[in-house]
Amino acid sequence: MDIIVCIKRVAQTAEAEVKIDSSGKDIIKDRLTFDMNESDTYALEEAILLKEKFGGTLTAVSLGTVEAEDTLRIALAKGADSAIRIKAEDFQELDGYKTAQLLKAAIKDLKFDVVFTGCIATDDYYSLVGVTLAELLGVPHATLVTKIVIQDTKAQVHRELEGGLVEHLEMTLPVLFTIQTGINEPRYASLIAIRRAAKKEIKVIGASEIDPANIQANASLEELFTPSVGKRAEILTGSMDEISAKVAGIIKEKGLL
Amino acid sequence: MGGSIKINLEVRDAIIESGAGDVIKCYQCGRCMAACPWNLLEGLNYATYRFCQRIKLGAIIDSEEKEEIAADTIDVFRCVGCDSCKAECPRGVGLSDILRAVRRILVEFDSYPGELKSVVTRVFSSGNPLGESTEKRGDWAAGLNIPQYTEDCEYLYFPCCLPAYDARAKKISQATVRILKRADISFGIIGKEEFCCGEAVRRVGAEKVFQAAVKQNTELFKKAKVHKVIATSPHCLVTFTKEYPEYYDGFETLHAVQVFDRLIKDKTIVPKRPFEKTVVYHDPCTLGRQMDIYDEPRAVLKSIPGLKLIEVPIFNRDFSICCGGGAMGLWRDWPQDERLANLRTEQILATDADILCVACPYCLQMFEETLKSMDADIEVMDISEILEASLELR
Repeated sequence: MDIIVCIKRVAQTAEAEVKIDSSGKDIIKDRLTFDMNESDTYALEEAILLKEKFGGTLTAVSLGTVEAEDTLRIALAKGADSAIRIKAEDFQELDGYKTAQLLKAAIKDLKFDVVFTGCIATDDYYSLVGVTLAELLGVPHATLVTKIVIQDTKAQVHRELEGGLVEHLEMTLPVLFTIQTGINEPRYASLIAIRRAAKKEIKVIGASEIDPANIQANASLEELFTPSVGKRAEILTGSMDEISAKVAGIIKEKGLL
Repeated sequence: MGGSIKINLEVRDAIIESGAGDVIKCYQCGRCMAACPWNLLEGLNYATYRFCQRIKLGAIIDSEEKEEIAADTIDVFRCVGCDSCKAECPRGVGLSDILRAVRRILVEFDSYPGELKSVVTRVFSSGNPLGESTEKRGDWAAGLNIPQYTEDCEYLYFPCCLPAYDARAKKISQATVRILKRADISFGIIGKEEFCCGEAVRRVGAEKVFQAAVKQNTELFKKAKVHKVIATSPHCLVTFTKEYPEYYDGFETLHAVQVFDRLIKDKTIVPKRPFEKTVVYHDPCTLGRQMDIYDEPRAVLKSIPGLKLIEVPIFNRDFSICCGGGAMGLWRDWPQDERLANLRTEQILATDADILCVACPYCLQMFEETLKSMDADIEVMDISEILEASLELR
């Protein structure tokens, strides 16, 4: 089975102080740590599990600056056979559509049965690249995937829906899955694999392989800003019984029950 | 680490280059294993003596099985850096130093426990492991009338991250500066430009973040002309004293308890108000084994009228057992039967003391958290709080 996994190096902002830079279009990154996007780590693990089960090849692809090669080396250390970096510096401002086009251009000559992406990137939260890439590749896709069982050319897939519902699909390969966190337990890398990955060559492609004139974005970023603080929260006071009664009253009044 | 051993000299060289040169001194006598507190926990077998030999063969975290790799990785990140092994090793090898070298490689490849990753991120971004705003770093001193540090001050008081932000631990820094003030010590604080000392991030292998901490603090100390520091955390003390001089040696550091001891000895402060309690003193690893400060805290406590000082039998001074908070142990979520704090708390409760006296904010937090789930009648106090209670109000 031939597998491609798309991964992204993102700033870890969940527990960091995030400030906007002077351009008003980006955040200050010099005090942020960078890691593989969270759901991509689960996509990578799912890809490795499939490769362990069925054999074949696993290629990791990332669109990013040279630092993204560190992230690709993590994928190599954990189980990818080869890695491709698309030089983000050659393609200026990116949106989900442009990113998907670049990924397609990078993998178009590779054989694949399954393409994995994470379900969302924790930097811009668009959730756009996976589904757009599937469309561009002309393959079916499933988003928010929480279980995959493959037999021959069929995949039994679970998708996470709202309200605790699960959708069960049968899909025919080749397919693209955007993976939800928690589908598996991402692995640690062995030291031997880390040493091996540190020396592996990463294929780098840029403007000389993909003509930037043919890749256009649909959206451009106008401004990043911190929303103004709204009305202050109402603090309820009184005894436990009084507070409970007030909460119940508010819930009823707002029609939430 | 089951299965056959696969020798890989490239892995060996990478680990040694990363700082584990001392492995060659190890001859596998096994005393480290006898000394390691993890092996005092029932059912846990932490084969410390095998680490050095495995590294010499380049055969550590060498499995191809996901579960075995995970188990080995967890073991590499288990050590809390208490240095019990180093104190016992006939050749002075410290496993925490050895494992730090392995951790550096793993952290570089993002192959380490997620709970540690979060703390590293917070330290790098906010300058403290709690992820609190740098702007608020000096807020603990609000209303205490503590001067801002200037070059006319003799000392900089460096509160450490927990006593700067944590509601309970703030009481340590606040008690300490009140004592320093009444002793007319010339000191000041800096606040928001301070950065975590980086001790814990270095121990878990996040070397780049440690280097950022060193850079920020040493540049600050140079700019503010700081030459003497009083630290509340023995973790700051040990890293300022033993790690920073490699990069900048223009300042010296004392732990608050050393200052208290001197102030009592020269009668600048005189504990007069009786403290009628039985107090057991817990030696923090970083203050005791790592800085050899055992007598000063005991002298301070003995100077307090009415206070009865007792010891944990056998496991005191250099045999003290770690609270489990070192090397970011404070943020680990071990199963109930794998917690060093439980073991140490049970030893302490067996003394029937009224008060558990600590001299480290990590120990304070570890013991208070542990006691919440135990039906025990003991209070945890920092030595600064006990000393202040024995000083008459002005």
